Amino acid sequence: MSDALRQSLDLSLFWEYRQVLLSGLLFNVYVFACSAVTALLVGLAAALLRVNRSWPFRWIGTVHVELFRNAPDYIMVVWVHFVLPLLLGAIIGRRLEFHPFVSAVIALGFVYSGYFAETFRAGIQAIPIGHVEAARACGMGERLILWRIILPQVVRRMLPEAVNQLVSLFKATTIVSLIAVPDLMYNVSMVTATEMRPLPLYTGAALTYFAVIWLAATGVRLLSERWRSKIYA
Amino acid sequence: MSNWERLVWNQRGVLLQGLAVTVEVCLIAFAVAIVGGLTLCLIRMHVRPLRPVAIVLIEFFRATPIFVQLMWVTYVWPELFGWPNSFFTAGWLALGLQSSGYLAETFRAGIEGIARGHREAGYALGMPPLLVFRRIVMPQTLLTVAPSIVNQFTVIVKSSTLISVITVQDLMFQAMKLVNVWYEPIEILTVTAALYILFVFLVSTAGKLLADRLRRRYGLAAA
Repeated sequence: MSDALRQSLDLSLFWEYRQVLLSGLLFNVYVFACSAVTALLVGLAAALLRVNRSWPFRWIGTVHVELFRNAPDYIMVVWVHFVLPLLLGAIIGRRLEFHPFVSAVIALGFVYSGYFAETFRAGIQAIPIGHVEAARACGMGERLILWRIILPQVVRRMLPEAVNQLVSLFKATTIVSLIAVPDLMYNVSMVTATEMRPLPLYTGAALTYFAVIWLAATGVRLLSERWRSKIYA
Repeated sequence: MSNWERLVWNQRGVLLQGLAVTVEVCLIAFAVAIVGGLTLCLIRMHVRPLRPVAIVLIEFFRATPIFVQLMWVTYVWPELFGWPNSFFTAGWLALGLQSSGYLAETFRAGIEGIARGHREAGYALGMPPLLVFRRIVMPQTLLTVAPSIVNQFTVIVKSSTLISVITVQDLMFQAMKLVNVWYEPIEILTVTAALYILFVFLVSTAGKLLADRLRRRYGLAAA
């Protein structure tokens, strides 16, 4: 026990492989950045569908949200990686294969777009209708109203929850190792396979993720709180 | 014979067996999460000397990805503590620990959301602290946090797909096994995804109905 404990606290093996592991962590960040952009854009589109005036659009938006919010990340990643290329390939009549990175970004982007859509919708609906009516009375077009009146308020109102979801998204990027995107977890399992010492490596990985996520989440929360209070003051 | 019949309907026994394992693991993990979460929350709020430990544990469980935690519990804990000794145990333990961190914060929000006056009224009537906790704080907290707890169950179900990686034979594991046998992923993976989505949808809808009902009957807003 004490030997095992010392071994897990002695992270020198982890340090030895820092370059491989750091490049893995960078891959996590790439996947995160790309899927976050996808999720925000698709989520915004779905939210706009959900508050649309005609019901077929609302219905499509609702199906999108319920489908992706209730789907486990892992099965979606696997589905996009193995099934979607076959389906698309059958449509265009050509063999198609996705790079693991592309599959990961599509899957995570769409899954999290469901969460973001709900966040955006709640934000849009929390805006008093009077603001929109006032803008219309001033002769602003629908798009201008969206960019000048609705979105600035939505962003401020929804920032804390959006940050939480971005944190979840970053955590979800660890599963892309399962379709062989060379991220931190993937590299850790590769090194473990050759070194046969899972103890320091997995402990190091857990601590690394903890440090990165905790610092990022706390930092963003502090910064955004200041920004939000400055605007409202 | 269509692919659907050959690959999915004829394999329904295996898939349902996997689904049963998924449900079993999720229920055990859920129980662990509720007990663990409440314990962590109470230690954080009321046991002064252990407070930093509880905070570190809660933050650690919340800020590490479930996949990393699962690997850590599965491969590091047996060497550190000599336990868990099976992948099945490691699976529910990791899922339960992660959620206990979240539930601890949920419980805390629920307890702190109760108006001070309620507790003070209890003390004024001469109730001892434990009785105040049992009769006044806990019943209200459970009502306000019930929807969030149901929500956490959906998180557990979604994360439970990952235990297939450590060869626990849940629905995901059986589906991937069939894919590797037949090399025809379309039907199996689509059905599996649909099953998971349906399962989570039913649970989260139940949670939403529960929240609505509590709001209408007791005028409570979910914590």
